[in-house]
Amino acid sequence: MGLSRHVRKFVDSRFDTETAESFINKQVHKRLPPHTGWLHVFGSLSLLLFVSQTITGILLLIYYRPTPEAAHKSIQYITAEVNFGWLYRQVHAWGASVMIIAVVLHMTRTYFFGAYKKPRELTWVTGVLIFIVTITFGFTGYLLPWNQIAFWATTVGTESANKVPVIGEWLRYFLRGGDAVTGETLSRFFVVHVIILPWVLTGLLTVHLFLMRATNLATLEAVGEEKFAPPECGIPFFPVHVAKEGVVAVFLLAVLVTLSVVAPWEIGEPADPLATPAHIKPEWYFLPSYQLLKYFEGPYGAFVGILACSLPFVLLLFWPFLDRGKHRHPKKRPIAVGVGLLAVLAALFLGVLGHLSETDRTIFGRTYHFDLLGRPHQVTTSSDPSQLNHVD
Amino acid sequence: MEKQPTRRGFLDWLIGLCSAAAGAALTVPGLLYLWPAARGGASEDVEVPNAPTLAPGQSAILQVRGKAVIVVREQTSFTAYSAVCTHLGCLVKWDGSRKEFLCPCHAAVFDKNGAVVSGPAPAPLPPYKVKEVGGKVYVSLS
Repeated sequence: MGLSRHVRKFVDSRFDTETAESFINKQVHKRLPPHTGWLHVFGSLSLLLFVSQTITGILLLIYYRPTPEAAHKSIQYITAEVNFGWLYRQVHAWGASVMIIAVVLHMTRTYFFGAYKKPRELTWVTGVLIFIVTITFGFTGYLLPWNQIAFWATTVGTESANKVPVIGEWLRYFLRGGDAVTGETLSRFFVVHVIILPWVLTGLLTVHLFLMRATNLATLEAVGEEKFAPPECGIPFFPVHVAKEGVVAVFLLAVLVTLSVVAPWEIGEPADPLATPAHIKPEWYFLPSYQLLKYFEGPYGAFVGILACSLPFVLLLFWPFLDRGKHRHPKKRPIAVGVGLLAVLAALFLGVLGHLSETDRTIFGRTYHFDLLGRPHQVTTSSDPSQLNHVD
Repeated sequence: MEKQPTRRGFLDWLIGLCSAAAGAALTVPGLLYLWPAARGGASEDVEVPNAPTLAPGQSAILQVRGKAVIVVREQTSFTAYSAVCTHLGCLVKWDGSRKEFLCPCHAAVFDKNGAVVSGPAPAPLPPYKVKEVGGKVYVSLS
């Protein structure tokens, strides 16, 4: 009798393995709705990226030192000295951005397919919470290399908390662990990034996946008018959909490694708390909020701006309870689809403005200075090339 | 008919109350633990180490009790302001030729007295006391 049979017999004699096997078989061979296709792989792609971030994050933790004196040097050490350290650091850094893209694409597909409607409202709510946690992962992880850009982007980001009336100063003090961004802030962000958020996300993902499996994937039929097609009409989860996910996983791995080699993230200069570099900007996924905040001025401007930036997340969270129409097909939901398209376009527009703001760009042979609010002003060069004149 | 209180109901209520009290007793110290401990000691004068070497119109940024302070040398005296821009916390720089403080992040401009000249800053730069004793320059946060 082989070893596997011995193990099997040992386990069978102690546990109810038949029930467990039957549950696993049911999940593996579950039939998905007939319209399930390539657009349905972004969820598992996000999950795969979380796994990748966890593995590469654990590997980085072996050499990373979360103190102001050692953090930047330890990143340099990982990149230059540790075997394949550069690769794991790059895959982790790029993985953060790609994970946010994957989560956003997954949410976008769910939104436009109306898959958040009854009985899947809570699946959507947990999904939005996963999105918020993913962004918080990005914010807390960004500080850890302790370079100039990260230090000052975090200073600006945490300073925004100060604009909340009454409790703003306390909130900023709590987030930073003091008046300014210091080693205390690094410790706090480190603990949140490597201990708290991973467990929060694991919990949310467990609930999300449980709800998704319990209610199956949504069809495009209206709420209450679903036609229960016989199981043989559906797409088998295994092997058909899993094969699609496998293809996408391999493609993702290729993309991550290619980006790591072709466009590596710089380590940057070590943080200097006494010198702010020019034109600090947050990571690309914060650019729409960063740009939107600039349009609110005055004593309560920043607070109103923070409310304006928070509103889309609140709307997302409660959207299934606001859009109570029964139709799921995009063609039958012109208002919801219009709102969704406008939101996507507004985020893209603000993101591009945020990227362009406070820079000089040459477009079709003419140089433009994009001011704080992203407005272009043509720049003419005088005879002295060091002198630039702005033409409004 | 009014529902009569039962011994079981009272005990349920008492157990709930005790559980809530125990939860609070465990949670409050945890929350207080997370609150940052005060650092920096008593407020006292701090010497600006390179002040004597500054030429008129030049400035220096230093940390005093964890706060960034910018010290500017004028013709015969020194002035000091918080170097933290009141907009979003970047550190301002002194432009000696324009006699203005400039924020490199979002282009806020303050005059030599710390008042807002232009840009998004909502408030002036807070001033600090400066005194010269025996050829040395001190900044006071009090």
